[in-house]
Amino acid sequence: MNNLITELFKLDFVPHDDKTVKEMLNVIGVKSLQELFQDVPSDLIIEKLNLSSGLSEPDLIRQLEKISHKNKVYSSSFLGAGCYFHYIPSLVDFVTSRSEFYTAYTPYQAEASQGYLQAIYEYQTMISRLTQMDVANASMYDGSTALAEAAIMSTIITRKSSVILLRGIHPEYVEVIRTYCWGQNINIKSANEENLKDMLSDDVAAVLFQSPNFFGDIEDVSNIIKNVRDNCPNCLIIQVMTDPTCLGVLKPPGATDVDIFVAEGQSFGITPSFGGPGLGIFTAKQKYLRKMPGRLIGKTKEINGEKEGFILTLQAREQHIRREKASSNICTNQALCSLAALTYLLALGRTGLKEVAKQNIQKTHYVKQKLSEIPGYKILNKKPTYNEFLVKCPDIEFLIEQCRQQELLPPLKLTNYYPEMKSIALVCVTEMNSKQSINNFLEAARSASKDNVEGQ
Amino acid sequence: MCSNIQLIFEKETENELKNFVPQMDIDEVDINEILPNTLQRKDLPIPNIPEVEIVRHFINLSNRNYGVDSGIYPLGSCTMKYNPKVNENIVRMPEFTYIHPLQEENDGCLELLYHISKLLGEITGMDGFTLQPAAGAHGELVGLLIMKKYFESKGLKKLKIIVPDSAHGTNPASAKMAGFSIIEIQSNKYGEIPLDQLEFAMQEGDVAGIMLTNPNTLGVFDRQIKEITKIVHENSGLCYYDGANINPMLGICRPRDMGFDIIHLNLHKTFSTPHGGGGPGSGPIGVVNELIPFLPEPCLISTQQGIVCNENNDKSIGRIKAFWGNFGVIVRAYAYILALGAEGLKRVGQVAVLNANYLRVLLQKNFNLPFNRICQHEFVLSDRGMPNEVTTEDIAKRILDHGIYAPTIYFPLIISGALMIEPTETESKKSLDYFVEVMNKIYEEAKNDPEILKNAPHNTSVKRLDAVLAARNPILHD
Repeated sequence: MNNLITELFKLDFVPHDDKTVKEMLNVIGVKSLQELFQDVPSDLIIEKLNLSSGLSEPDLIRQLEKISHKNKVYSSSFLGAGCYFHYIPSLVDFVTSRSEFYTAYTPYQAEASQGYLQAIYEYQTMISRLTQMDVANASMYDGSTALAEAAIMSTIITRKSSVILLRGIHPEYVEVIRTYCWGQNINIKSANEENLKDMLSDDVAAVLFQSPNFFGDIEDVSNIIKNVRDNCPNCLIIQVMTDPTCLGVLKPPGATDVDIFVAEGQSFGITPSFGGPGLGIFTAKQKYLRKMPGRLIGKTKEINGEKEGFILTLQAREQHIRREKASSNICTNQALCSLAALTYLLALGRTGLKEVAKQNIQKTHYVKQKLSEIPGYKILNKKPTYNEFLVKCPDIEFLIEQCRQQELLPPLKLTNYYPEMKSIALVCVTEMNSKQSINNFLEAARSASKDNVEGQ
Repeated sequence: MCSNIQLIFEKETENELKNFVPQMDIDEVDINEILPNTLQRKDLPIPNIPEVEIVRHFINLSNRNYGVDSGIYPLGSCTMKYNPKVNENIVRMPEFTYIHPLQEENDGCLELLYHISKLLGEITGMDGFTLQPAAGAHGELVGLLIMKKYFESKGLKKLKIIVPDSAHGTNPASAKMAGFSIIEIQSNKYGEIPLDQLEFAMQEGDVAGIMLTNPNTLGVFDRQIKEITKIVHENSGLCYYDGANINPMLGICRPRDMGFDIIHLNLHKTFSTPHGGGGPGSGPIGVVNELIPFLPEPCLISTQQGIVCNENNDKSIGRIKAFWGNFGVIVRAYAYILALGAEGLKRVGQVAVLNANYLRVLLQKNFNLPFNRICQHEFVLSDRGMPNEVTTEDIAKRILDHGIYAPTIYFPLIISGALMIEPTETESKKSLDYFVEVMNKIYEEAKNDPEILKNAPHNTSVKRLDAVLAARNPILHD
């Protein structure tokens, strides 16, 4: 009896009643549902999964709320390092919540999918304009896998077997590249600006660099490019960035002769969500189009008509046609996230995106200035920065503790990735940090400053 | 509805609005003092468009798109089931959306990730899971890298993988990305693996194992599955289970019991997370005990201090994605599993198979069904014998005219002119009957008025599009 009661109060998305099930079994010509599994060897059939009974909607929500409340949302954040808190306009969620979009799949049937196809074509257009790169694909999983696939693509184009990683690439991205390249027997070499020239040997397919880099530095891209072009003319140049809102102000990669440009697009209207899903932005020069991984949407015409329409194109590169000869195994990408990014960039527009980028630069500059005035703090960046920077702290543990007490999500302790870089924090400041939250952060820094800590 | 819609870029205005940026509240300095002019961009060619125009644009676009909420979406091997709305609310709880992947106060996220690993373990029989892969194909790559690392750790060079010709295209592509070469095995007429061929291939000596989809892409459960995995194991190989088709097996049987060592799941198929128009997905990998040390980082373990990352893991293949996987997708799948429970999941498997067989029986009256036997989640029709040389593409396009979506076409490659149909468990009998009615009408048209099929679709926002033109002269942006 108890069982029956629990059975009733649970979610079930199967629409049939028992009578319908019987009718359908009759049509099929079998007596029971069990008979439909006659091909499954009987000793493989299980009695019952050892899981609890289902839940009704209110019970489910209560349970998930309980779990989510074990996380903490801070009123303001000074943490970035590849995932950023930017303002998300309300219309982003409105658009991506249209179920004609989010419950669709890859638009194989173009004529019934013109809405999504046009939106992704517009996304490709938006990304091309923003980056000034020739072509953008429909998206990759995230920034890290986009960069790894770019590295592989460079070895396919050049038929060479090594890639060089310049210092300053997000450490988790470096790990992802290592895993992907190990799979394909691609060598990885690490370099910095000083020794890059010596590393550029004949077997190098590409030089990969991040700018603004993991430590916040905006690299002088033209310098890197000149160095590579002079010493390794056939070598590709691949740039990655983790917060492309900076393109509201910074020179776009397409204006600097970069061959492949990739980015993590989470900053464009996608919530942090514990780091996923994000958006892998992938762009390249026109001449590399046919070696690009991922879906591409093209504009075409009706066969027997004049109207324009949109369609998945250049599929001959892809796994479902080329199988093991495909340029990548990617199938599903992050379509809904590219729709979010498109909506975000449209909502902000030219004026808004410029303003966001400007505020990130100005507020970060302000915090750097004020921090450097506090005894014991030293800003380590020698180059210009966008919204992140490194600061050497007198007592980083105490600073982090103080931030928490002020309801601020503390900056990253660099030792998490670089055990040798002690007492250094990677601080992130965006347009979302109000003057009040900045003052609270500076207050936290002051109370963890040399004078105060030593005086305790 | 049928006129060409303008691109959004044509709605540009001169408005200089900053609606979505907070008021600047600190003193600014001249930007050229912070950032050298040479590092700044000259122009930013993206448009300023009023909010109302953007909203109307996307509403118009959504009206020209079809999703599961619009009607039946019988795309074979894609498991286009209904996406419960409560999951959309759950994933938007602020304590999930506004959590930074590197913040320390993340106990809820870690607990959820750990717990769903255990649930997936029970559902599939596997001992350990990683939730890192962002999609099914990504999971395949991870599973194969685990295989590669496992053999490397034993000092063995095994660089070949067996993939049957009925496999999803991602299988051979993933194997190649992991550095394997492919031995293709021809499946028999039911898409099953001939044991003698398997034995012969395994005896080459440097074969790492096999990738299998079961039920296969013809919707057939391989009756000799235990013999297959036994042969592979006897030749010291590993068995990889492509979980794309696991929906009908929920609560019925488990890949581990079939003898598989590594499996991937597609949370966006089996566990009802929305397909999003082609992502984001999630492709967890499950393995047997012996392979757990090889799982990618970060790997969660339960300790007395709670759920933490296992950091001393020399054998791991390394990291395969930044941060923690597609957490937002995983939350939805977790809620789905909790909502359905043991009984609900079993009902999913049973009704998925009931619905597929109901369609199979009713459609075979007019359409060629190459293999007429009980199927699992899907079955494949062929355009062989269609009157007046009507093709699979014609049929698919004409289906669209009836306001529903078409099946997967021209796949699997082993059936000429394949129409691969997977209704899933969430379609009602009424919805299935409508699909049959549409298909029968199309058959009558093929006999009596084939031109209407060859020129289809007629009722969609555009008529049949020129794919050849698109590829010959790619226009990828405006």
